[in-house]
Amino acid sequence: MYKTIVALVTAFLLTTTLAACGAEQSGGGMSGGSAENYPEQPLEWTIAFGPGGGNDIMSRTLVDILKKEKLYPKDIAVENKEGGSGAVGWGYVFSKKGNPYHVSTTSGSFITTPLQADTGWTYKDFTLVGQLATDDSLFVVPKSSGITKWRQWEDQAKRKGKVTVGGIGTVNVDFILHAQLAKQAGYKIDYVPFNDEGQLLTAMTSGSLDAVVSNPSEVLGQVSGGRMNAVLFTGKEALPQLPDVPTANSLGFKNLVATPRGLLLPPDVPDNVRDWWIETMKKVGKTERWRAYLKDNNLIRDEAWGDDFEKELDATSKRFERILRAHGAIK
Amino acid sequence: MDVFANLAAGIAGVLSPINLLLLASGVLVGMIVGVMPGLGPSAGLAILLPLTFGLDPVGAIVMLAAVYYGAMYGGTITSVLINTPGESATVASTFDGYPLAKQGRAAPALVIAAVASFVAGTIGAVLISVAAPVTAGVAASFGPPELFMLVILGLLTLIVVIGKKRLLGIISVLIGFALATVGIDIGGGQQRYTFGSTELINGIDFIPVAIGVFGVGEILWNLYCGAHRERLGYFDLKRASRRFWPTGADWVESRWSMLRGSVLGFFVGATPGAGATVASLMSYSMEKSVSKRPERFGKGAMAGLAGPEAANNAASAGAMVPLLTLGIPGSASTAVLLGGFLMWGLQPGPLLMQDEPDFAWTLIGSMYLGNVMLLLVNIFCIPAFAKVAKVRFQILAPVVIVLCVLGTFAVNGSIVEVGIMLGCGVLGFFMRRFGLSPAALVIALVLGPLAEETLRQSLIISEGSFGVFVDRPVSLALLCFLPVLCLLPIAVKLWRRRVSPAAVPVEAQPTEPGGDHEALDTAEHETNR
Repeated sequence: MYKTIVALVTAFLLTTTLAACGAEQSGGGMSGGSAENYPEQPLEWTIAFGPGGGNDIMSRTLVDILKKEKLYPKDIAVENKEGGSGAVGWGYVFSKKGNPYHVSTTSGSFITTPLQADTGWTYKDFTLVGQLATDDSLFVVPKSSGITKWRQWEDQAKRKGKVTVGGIGTVNVDFILHAQLAKQAGYKIDYVPFNDEGQLLTAMTSGSLDAVVSNPSEVLGQVSGGRMNAVLFTGKEALPQLPDVPTANSLGFKNLVATPRGLLLPPDVPDNVRDWWIETMKKVGKTERWRAYLKDNNLIRDEAWGDDFEKELDATSKRFERILRAHGAIK
Repeated sequence: MDVFANLAAGIAGVLSPINLLLLASGVLVGMIVGVMPGLGPSAGLAILLPLTFGLDPVGAIVMLAAVYYGAMYGGTITSVLINTPGESATVASTFDGYPLAKQGRAAPALVIAAVASFVAGTIGAVLISVAAPVTAGVAASFGPPELFMLVILGLLTLIVVIGKKRLLGIISVLIGFALATVGIDIGGGQQRYTFGSTELINGIDFIPVAIGVFGVGEILWNLYCGAHRERLGYFDLKRASRRFWPTGADWVESRWSMLRGSVLGFFVGATPGAGATVASLMSYSMEKSVSKRPERFGKGAMAGLAGPEAANNAASAGAMVPLLTLGIPGSASTAVLLGGFLMWGLQPGPLLMQDEPDFAWTLIGSMYLGNVMLLLVNIFCIPAFAKVAKVRFQILAPVVIVLCVLGTFAVNGSIVEVGIMLGCGVLGFFMRRFGLSPAALVIALVLGPLAEETLRQSLIISEGSFGVFVDRPVSLALLCFLPVLCLLPIAVKLWRRRVSPAAVPVEAQPTEPGGDHEALDTAEHETNR
């Protein structure tokens, strides 16, 4: 009896596995598609990170808007393909050369991962639709430090000679921001890299760090809860929740990097498809739902389309490369 | 009983028919997901989180809490039945759970594990109500130096895991450390041993290695031992009592282990990093230290299963404290939950409990009810699962291998990880062949990088001075605790020798239900003495 059940289960598992493999192949064979009456096929939306992260939430919001506003007439299948700091997901989209029915979204790793690993592609290889917003960072200090203004922080940092600051990762936006701020303001830093937001924040609450930069969504609660003071925001405009925290621009800082939140298609997708997406994304950008998303997730609207987007990525990539090379993080 | 009013309100908030349905289905789905090798609680949550996009926060949280507990228990099932832990926190459950299953006692082992989880969940819920502020204060003081000390405490438990085979044990640990060095070096950003592969940038994950060395390695080893030729299969069915429920002696043996494991697990689990893993390992080594018959550990001691099971479950309650009171995720699973908070439009932070008390207490309440539901569901499911132990090896082996491959692939959809898993299967076989310890390897793989990371962070902060470990009070306290932990087994042995000069008699294993009361009585006398 059990023998039969187990045999059946095994057979079922084997068939489903084989079926899955078969489906994958036929999916690949179907690709290509004509670009004339775009869009006329279901869309495959790849998220290069796991569920629950910034990239994931943005992608799912965009898909939700596209569906609710009936901007995309066919089905949209969303899939998380995480691994290798985005290399797996974007590598998959890269392999769909010329196929207009694949879409993915950008993060900081879209630039940094190719800089540090042999991914076989860079941002330049993709058909870039545009940037909708930037994900900027909040510079926070512990409340116990008594510092409430950027000027005080700068004075203290210069007086101490060297300050200990933290962020996520090394080949990452956080480190580059710290390096840029310290260089332009004229103080020295010891940068402590963390792998995990939780450990970064407890390091801060335990009094191990003088300051951290972090995504506003992750530290706003700490600021409003009175554990940390925000002294600077790297976005173009002040955060709606913290109107008194000055932007980096207003304090005279230039060219600070940010995480680009934009859309990309596989390489060599025809121009009319790209234009279709640019027009559609402009419509998405005007919806109430998108406005609410930007506000809830503390993103700053910063639109750049097509070639302009590519120019911005060029500039960001050069800054990343220069600083990381100086630090010895990449060769 | 003002403190429990919130908890009661939280539980009451969940008690609607639709929520109970969500709870029951979540527990079932979680268990099924968790039984798949590789898909532990954090992977299960991550897979199911997108489904809650657009759901109202209460329904979503009820379902996720249920999935969380279900997946956790599912991981225990695989640890006990096929020696394959679903995540690092259940490694310790294989030490005695699997030997128990091999002796034909899978059902009692699973029942004890379910009860231990339930007890831990109850104690966890009570401790959240009573001790959350204090715990949060301590958790907030855990910077890199303190975490390093905690990881060292976890690594010390390897001494207990390795046992007498010191040299072989050390080699196993070193293999684990070596595998852990693959990937981007957190300190400098350089790649180590990735050979240009983008798949290896983030290092070798615990899951394929654990599934390989435990699951596949065990199958290969049994094949080598000729299990496929024995008609009766590799679980010892001759000695198997037909009992579903654990014996009285089992309860007696494991009741204090459950309580100790729960309390330990809650507090260690509240610290960020490897809370649940360290907690379950510490609980195992503590149980072995205080046991009257430590020689039975690793050969099927109920206390060796009950303690770590309670600890890892209480740790998940403990991990809720920093998440809810500080807005800081302490574990992979709570990090996914934090992502969920943002998705549902909640702002995690120190004010979450004040601003959204209903939500926070509903979360705690549904975690508790998830536990209750788990216990109920299990009473029906355990007989079915336990029958796996009666399947003959010729049939079980291929099924397990297929499940291992599918489970590994399902986590990240990476074929490279499947390759790593199969390679580790061969490694696991040779480790068994030459007497090395697979458990020591995977523990080293999990804790090694954390130790490296936190040590380097500490030294950057202190500018290279080791004084940082002594200057900070919490770190100093942990440092003082290290020798205590090392000396505990010796102290217990000496104390026991003095108290009862006559060697502790080996309790007869009661075979009939009638014997249970007797065993219970004797044990109670012993503890009251």
